[in-house]
Amino acid sequence: MFDIIGKRFWFFLISGIIILVGIISLLSAGLPSGIEFSSGSMLTVKFEEPVEYDRFKEEMVSLGYTDAIIQSAGEGQFVIRTHELSDSEKAQLEDSLSGRFGQLTEAQFSSVSPQVASETVTNAAIAVAIAAVGILLYVTWAFRRMPRPLHYGACAIVALVHDALIAMGVFSILGALMGWEINLMFITGLLAVIGYSVNNTVVVFDRIRENLTKGIGNTFEAVVNNSLVETLSRSVNTSMTTLVVVLSLLLFVGATIQNFVIVLIIGIISGTFSSLCIAPSLLVVWDKKEWGRFIPGRKLTVKKA
Amino acid sequence: MTRKNAITLLVILAIFGFALWAILPVDSEKLGRKGLHLGLDLVGGVHLVYEADATENATELDRNMKRVITTIQKRIDKYGVAEPVIQQLGDDRVLIQLPGFTDIDAAKSLVEQTGFLEFREVELTDELQLVTLGYYLEQSQLQFADRGEPGDRIFVMSVTNEEGQVEDRTVAFLVKDNDEIMLTDASGNPADSTSLQEFSESLSWIPATGTDGTHLTGDLLSDAAARIDQSDVVPVYVVSIQWNSEGAIIFDQIASKLFNAGEYGTPQRALGIFLDNSLLSAPQIRQQSYQGSGQIEGSFTPNEAEELANLLKSGALPMPLKQPPLYQEKVSATLGANFIEMSWMAGLIGIVLVMLFMIAYYRIPGLLASLALIFYVALVMALFKLIPVTLTLAGLGGFILSIGMAVDANVLIFERMKEELRLGRTLGAAIEAGFNRAWSAIRDSNVTTIIVCVILFWLGSSIIASAPVMGFALTLGIGVIISMFTAILVTRTLLRLFIHSPLGKNKTLFIIDRGKK
Repeated sequence: MFDIIGKRFWFFLISGIIILVGIISLLSAGLPSGIEFSSGSMLTVKFEEPVEYDRFKEEMVSLGYTDAIIQSAGEGQFVIRTHELSDSEKAQLEDSLSGRFGQLTEAQFSSVSPQVASETVTNAAIAVAIAAVGILLYVTWAFRRMPRPLHYGACAIVALVHDALIAMGVFSILGALMGWEINLMFITGLLAVIGYSVNNTVVVFDRIRENLTKGIGNTFEAVVNNSLVETLSRSVNTSMTTLVVVLSLLLFVGATIQNFVIVLIIGIISGTFSSLCIAPSLLVVWDKKEWGRFIPGRKLTVKKA
Repeated sequence: MTRKNAITLLVILAIFGFALWAILPVDSEKLGRKGLHLGLDLVGGVHLVYEADATENATELDRNMKRVITTIQKRIDKYGVAEPVIQQLGDDRVLIQLPGFTDIDAAKSLVEQTGFLEFREVELTDELQLVTLGYYLEQSQLQFADRGEPGDRIFVMSVTNEEGQVEDRTVAFLVKDNDEIMLTDASGNPADSTSLQEFSESLSWIPATGTDGTHLTGDLLSDAAARIDQSDVVPVYVVSIQWNSEGAIIFDQIASKLFNAGEYGTPQRALGIFLDNSLLSAPQIRQQSYQGSGQIEGSFTPNEAEELANLLKSGALPMPLKQPPLYQEKVSATLGANFIEMSWMAGLIGIVLVMLFMIAYYRIPGLLASLALIFYVALVMALFKLIPVTLTLAGLGGFILSIGMAVDANVLIFERMKEELRLGRTLGAAIEAGFNRAWSAIRDSNVTTIIVCVILFWLGSSIIASAPVMGFALTLGIGVIISMFTAILVTRTLLRLFIHSPLGKNKTLFIIDRGKK
């Protein structure tokens, strides 16, 4: 029999390190946000002839777009991200560029005003907060016959926040390396991760509920561990099937929804880990009031189970 | 028991047949327009969100917003954009989506322009004959039939549209440019007489003017409202109009002229109402004098009367739109076409891999779950089409993700079945126990996912660039609900029927215990 719960402090350590690194990255590099969140214009231009990135960048600077972020998107194709362009500014920019590099097609254009950008940020934050409260309420209600039902709801939320932090942290590291920006697809992916994380956690909690009712096992810790082991293959298998589908999405659809897929992959892995190792462990820690172990320098008073 | 299951199976097969019928390719399009409803980010097009400037007109915001929307709708209809979306967002915002429209600047000027409402009458020759486009086509040197009226002529013809309704369509113009008179087609491009030949029957409309030459336009109208006229036996919907003091005088001058120009029911007696060169309505003049108010009768439905009243009042937008738009986006269609192909591929490969995994791991139950998965995909796609759900990039993502999650209920049940078998239960008992015991986990885990979807959908509608969030929430939510039905009912029925078949006695097809305990 695996003893998963017994290694709980190792899990907290692993998660803690990953989250810490993620937070350091979030604080230093931040999450470079797309125009949906920070307002501005994004313009994709395509030239008939291949154009070198450096020459293009130079031309943009000489046109006064020193602040513009320019990405190459295939031969003779560039994504320009800059402040909110007015109609005349855009027309002028396109004219100048086509005068320099020849025939130009505007493949894509979007522009977001500061007002909409700040609303989007607020509403996305509200969405996450309300979703968390809704989950807390439902899980607490679903486990109302258990002693201390709020523990279940709260631990599910901690697991969810854990997954969201890891997804954001890892994305921030990857983003800094690859120059990705977060957009609405990222938020959508993050919300999917939240849903997925809770889904997994609830399955484990459900088994704990059942085993507790049956009265199998001597201690709460043993019950939790048994429940975990019993649901282990389900958790792994479901994660496998979901990962398979998400990976095929990444391989075949690629860049267009890359943010969404990357967040999902990080989230599925993290969600499986948190539902197996973090949420149930927290239940046990909370039950045994082991909080003292989290405070460095304090003497360990945990009894061997 | 077997009989009941057989009936359930028949019902399931009937639903499957219906789903297949609903998603079968129409005109050999797998996922095209006529198939699934595709969002703007897939088919390409223009997406605009404007905020109205309500500073001068704050009291009747809601009414004015409706008028803004009707006016924009009318303008866009003239351009024949397929399935445009024009909606009010929140209190004072307008969302405009034009699928397939690639010129964002043209789209913006179309929406932002202020419309021009004017009144016209038919042109007559000196002999009081109706002037048609044919009259002008016969001339070698173009000359106005009514020399007293120097303004442009609009030629309008009644045509039957694709839906079988008769509508008035502007087919050509006669314009005076640098003292030269020339004919143009409906888009304003110079046209030669042969291309216009088919419209030779269309009537020529000239500006309706008072005796001092003042053109009767929307500026002179002070109010218009739809109401019910009870004076007749059968109450009818009419549009009552009110002129301002100047308009009242000019209108009476025109009314008396038209009243004496021809019999009731002839074009000579009609006053044409034109918005941006399109004929909205051509009511007959019944009196010589109206003294500032009148009513337009026609066989209006309540909506038509309301719409006409709105248009009369809102020849110009009742409230200006703030520029630049709050949000603007143009998506090229090429991205979409490629994306659909690729998503199709990703979905197919994902399903096949999931099925292989399930069969390899759970054998017969896995195979039956795979059948349920096929049923699931067919049913969800049929629902997408019938509701209809507009599929966006994120929506497709949500759907494909839901495939991965759809087998979760089956995984839960089968794991439970294996445990029960290990405990020494018979196959039949293990199957039933597996379904019963796994139910609470399936219910609670899926309800939490549905909660997230509902919150996302609800909040998504308040985010302006909301398409991804709402599309994702909707497809994932539908997917989760349907998967509870297919994974439980379909798989259970198939399993129950299977264990009563000769193959069902073979326990090794069910349990894959590699000897470890």
